[in-house]
Amino acid sequence: MASNQTLLTAGTEDRDLTRLEEYRAVGGYEALAKARALEPQAVMDEITAATLRGRGGAGFPMGRKASLLAKDTGRPVYLVVNADESEPGAFKDRDVMRFTPHRLIEGCLITAHGIGSTSVFIYIRGEYLHEFEVTRAALEETRKAGLLAGVTIVLHRGAGAYICGEETALLESLEGSRGQPRPRPPFPPVTGLYDAPTQINNVSTIALVPKVLELGAAEFAKIGVPSAPGTAVFSLSGNVAQPGNYERPLGTTLRELIYDIGGGVANGRELKAVIPGGSSVPVLTPDEIDTPMDYDSIQAAGSFFGSAAIIVVDDRCCMVQLALRAAQFYMHESCGKCTPCRVGTRWLVQLLTRIEAGEAAPTDLELLENVCDRMLGRSLCALGDFAVYPVSSYLRKYRAEFEAHVTGAGCPFVGESSIEGIIAPIAQHAHPVPEVVGG
Amino acid sequence: MADLVSLTVDDRPVQVLPGTGLVEAAQAAGVEIPVFCYEPRLGPPVGACRMCLVEIEGIPKLQAGCTLTVQEGMVIRTAATSEKAADGQESTLEFILVNHPLDCPVCDKGGECPLQDLTFRYGPGKTRMTFPKLTFDKPIPVSPLIALDRERCILCYRCTRFSEEVSEDGLLVAVNRGARSLIATFEDEPYRSPFSGNVVELCPVGALTSTLYRFEGRPWDIQNVPTVCTGCPVGCNVSATIREGKVKRILSRNHSEIDRGWLCDKGRFTYPHLRARDRVTTPLRRGREGLREVTWEEALDTAEELLREAGTAVVTALSGSETTEIAYALGRVLRGGLGAHSAVLPEATSDALDAFRLPLSAIAEAELVVIVGDDPVVERAPIVDLWVKEAARRGAEVVTCSPGGDVQTSPGGGAALCGELAERGSKLGKRLRAAERAVLVWSGPGGGGGARIAELAHELGFAEKPGCGAFHLPSTPNGHAVAAAWSAAADAEEAGPAPIKLLVVSGDEAAADPGVRALAEDAEHVVVITMFQELAGGWADLILPATASLERDGTTMNLEGRLQRLRRTVPPPCPDELTWLSELGARIGVALAPDAAGVYAELAERLFRDLPLEDLGLQAPLPARKAYEAPAPATTEVSAAATATPEHFVGELKLQRYAALFSGPAVERVPELRFQRPEREVELSAADAERRGIASGDTVLVRSNGTSVELRARVSRKLIEGVARVAGEHAGDLHATVEVVKAP
Repeated sequence: MASNQTLLTAGTEDRDLTRLEEYRAVGGYEALAKARALEPQAVMDEITAATLRGRGGAGFPMGRKASLLAKDTGRPVYLVVNADESEPGAFKDRDVMRFTPHRLIEGCLITAHGIGSTSVFIYIRGEYLHEFEVTRAALEETRKAGLLAGVTIVLHRGAGAYICGEETALLESLEGSRGQPRPRPPFPPVTGLYDAPTQINNVSTIALVPKVLELGAAEFAKIGVPSAPGTAVFSLSGNVAQPGNYERPLGTTLRELIYDIGGGVANGRELKAVIPGGSSVPVLTPDEIDTPMDYDSIQAAGSFFGSAAIIVVDDRCCMVQLALRAAQFYMHESCGKCTPCRVGTRWLVQLLTRIEAGEAAPTDLELLENVCDRMLGRSLCALGDFAVYPVSSYLRKYRAEFEAHVTGAGCPFVGESSIEGIIAPIAQHAHPVPEVVGG
Repeated sequence: MADLVSLTVDDRPVQVLPGTGLVEAAQAAGVEIPVFCYEPRLGPPVGACRMCLVEIEGIPKLQAGCTLTVQEGMVIRTAATSEKAADGQESTLEFILVNHPLDCPVCDKGGECPLQDLTFRYGPGKTRMTFPKLTFDKPIPVSPLIALDRERCILCYRCTRFSEEVSEDGLLVAVNRGARSLIATFEDEPYRSPFSGNVVELCPVGALTSTLYRFEGRPWDIQNVPTVCTGCPVGCNVSATIREGKVKRILSRNHSEIDRGWLCDKGRFTYPHLRARDRVTTPLRRGREGLREVTWEEALDTAEELLREAGTAVVTALSGSETTEIAYALGRVLRGGLGAHSAVLPEATSDALDAFRLPLSAIAEAELVVIVGDDPVVERAPIVDLWVKEAARRGAEVVTCSPGGDVQTSPGGGAALCGELAERGSKLGKRLRAAERAVLVWSGPGGGGGARIAELAHELGFAEKPGCGAFHLPSTPNGHAVAAAWSAAADAEEAGPAPIKLLVVSGDEAAADPGVRALAEDAEHVVVITMFQELAGGWADLILPATASLERDGTTMNLEGRLQRLRRTVPPPCPDELTWLSELGARIGVALAPDAAGVYAELAERLFRDLPLEDLGLQAPLPARKAYEAPAPATTEVSAAATATPEHFVGELKLQRYAALFSGPAVERVPELRFQRPEREVELSAADAERRGIASGDTVLVRSNGTSVELRARVSRKLIEGVARVAGEHAGDLHATVEVVKAP
């Protein structure tokens, strides 16, 4: 049964942890002192022993990632924190920065000590202005308190590109180039920022590091599931009664998260679908919601843990419209570097638009499926796959609904879809999106 | 030798060196991995087009072959043996063709287009795309030379990578993202780079095309004839595209030691001068009514008469752009036939440099490159500039010693600097001495044709270091061999005749030389061999039509000392020089072969140790280094340039005229190259500008005794004080010292 032990958000219920003194009052920066008293390798051993898996989506163990850092290259080692949280449905890192910036900074300093780095870059999503300011104020306090001890932490604001959450595009952007992914290999631990060995982790991963040191690997591993200890901040959104961020141990089931924690589907509607890890992951149906939310279980169910952003979809939502919204987002955010993603995302939008308008032929569904197959696994980075997963999984699991659009005279959900509460249209962007779809 | 890595490609075993890319490894196995964006000359692979998808055993997803290197035991399958890879490649082509306009029937690339070729071999037979394609305005002129068709563009980023990573001008960029991505010029400025034309060849589709070649030919009605460019002393290997006896286009022809397949715009786009409006195709003789066309018989009669009258009182002015054979034939006729030994010869490279010979490609391997001389490398030998840039990208230290360089010298101060570098105390000299791979380059006038840099290389012990070498960038393409051929044509001392009874001017370079024109004023008669009537119409008594390099057979020697073979790509519109020189020679008792092969056979014996013409082949070899022979020491005469500025007279600046790459009679006859020619500006140091109250962009008057030129000022933070730098074509008749004032 899920405990309510919190790690990332611990102490935020009754204190303003954006302030250094308050953070110190709950034991803040004690883990840093403890870490600095240890040999760097001992710090990394602790993190490895705790099986702290990356909270950014892929779930790669942080300790193992650090062990891949190239040694004795004659170049500096960099720590880069990915705070470019841009996935529709994901807003966990936002709260970490907003409410416990010191935990992130402490995590940076401990990790920097562990990997022998004196330069840390936090790449913050451009739209997260408030979070940037809170983090900057906290960093200033840390500096004044003399806690940096020679480590430089650079806060870098992005300029509004989802692709910069992809680690190599992030590095390109950080270096001042167009935010486009690099081919891998070489991988960042060997050739990363400015061609130097670079450790890249998500905000929530780094912010868990102080707790790993504080509790010790053994205690930390008691939380969550053995394959993935610890907690995650789950972002509940969509047609759910009580949307918001909830920190729970890994392994909490989707049913618990939606019904016990989120208050169930909003307005007493029926549950139609759950997207467990942000808009880019394959959809799950209501009979799959007893799946525990941890990397391996969710993958066994055919989806991904992703950014732990759980999007609840009720029975009024048109799955074609939902696929179109997602596809539009990925078309808008495709960087344009590689062919399948640049061309395929636009083609998906064109096909889905036609299907939604009731103008498609049955062969268009096969074409849609085939375009998805041809994009999958062939792009330079994962964005090409992210664009495919929603479309192909909705089509597979809700095929009848797609067929109804083709055989009937258009969308059966006209006028009553709940889509607006699920994914916002790309037209929300302040800058008008150029028309590229055509008639 | 490093251990080889064994792998199989489509079941064919192959062994390659560690670090080999999959594309090359497959090639070694005789298997093609098709590519669009991959081009190793453009730096690290980008993996953008996804054409090279292959299946690798043990990896579930298809992999981009261009971004991976071989590993022991790798099992690679391409479309030939893997359904998955075949589907991957077909998908990529389907995606690429989704927005491609398929306007092949009206596309210049049609028939020689990698996209067409790969679509035929790996692509889908028909389209499933039923939506409107992306459309753009087209074609957009990115410069007067290059048109951009964004609809055809497949976004392989070859052009932008060339601009950023090879020519380093940063002028071609990708803008926007996703489906809206497109290629543009930076800030919509024209693509003005000496190397812009390379992107036309790099483009794997018809997105970047040459405006000069637009609708001019199809692969099935053209021939590509290999020859060598004589636009500068680099001697890039090229092919001329010929249709119906006309040159339609110049393409690079990769010689890995000389040009690596790059070509500058002067070499690529100057060919329309062959059809210049004032091209001379029949002899012209001055009579009472001015110049009149005459028959060849009449012309040769006149020439013979003038020669016989003048006897030994002839001065011959030769261009450094002649073939070795023409220079030799002229020497045999004038020196052998008449005993007229006096000549104005093009600047020759010092033989002493033969001891420090390297292929140009060795510059890229250097750890230290020191460039000495008044002119930027790019203006004298543009491809050398690309080699130097590559060296820098690979981590070499590049030190420029010039009036605007890292080490500032006054104009003409390079020779003195060489002396300083040879001294034990010099820091830079020490690093040169210690380096295993160091290259010296003399880029500018003077310096004894590289003799000073050769002395320095000798002092530094470069002769014993195979990685160290020295180059001279002469002002003409073949000056060294022209001078050598002239001198090999007879054995006798020259003595300047006075008065000059006859001045023979051979070639446009000599005809355009103000010094030669001054001689003409003193000469009783002048015979000019030229392509362009406007060059000599005012002062020649007899004009004999000249041929262009692209119309000539023969040999030319580049700045490395490599003898290369010119091939006649199109028939000239008039008999070539060797034909009528043979006839003229016969009249005065000199037996000469009427063709290049015959003349070469005779001169090779005297000049090139009997090197057979055939041995030059399509890709000429580099001769071995020779033992060092000390050059003639620097003359003590103080050149005008080296005189110190009179300190007390603050108003005066030394005029530094430089010959811009895009200048000269041929370039001037191609309107599309006008935008590449030097700006009408004078470059001043910040201190000199400030003293005169001049800012960048101001209109200024540059004056010397009695003559004045209006130019735009450009203030340079790097230029040394006391110098006014002006391109030769804008310097008019200005003297060696000038004053610069703000225009009223």
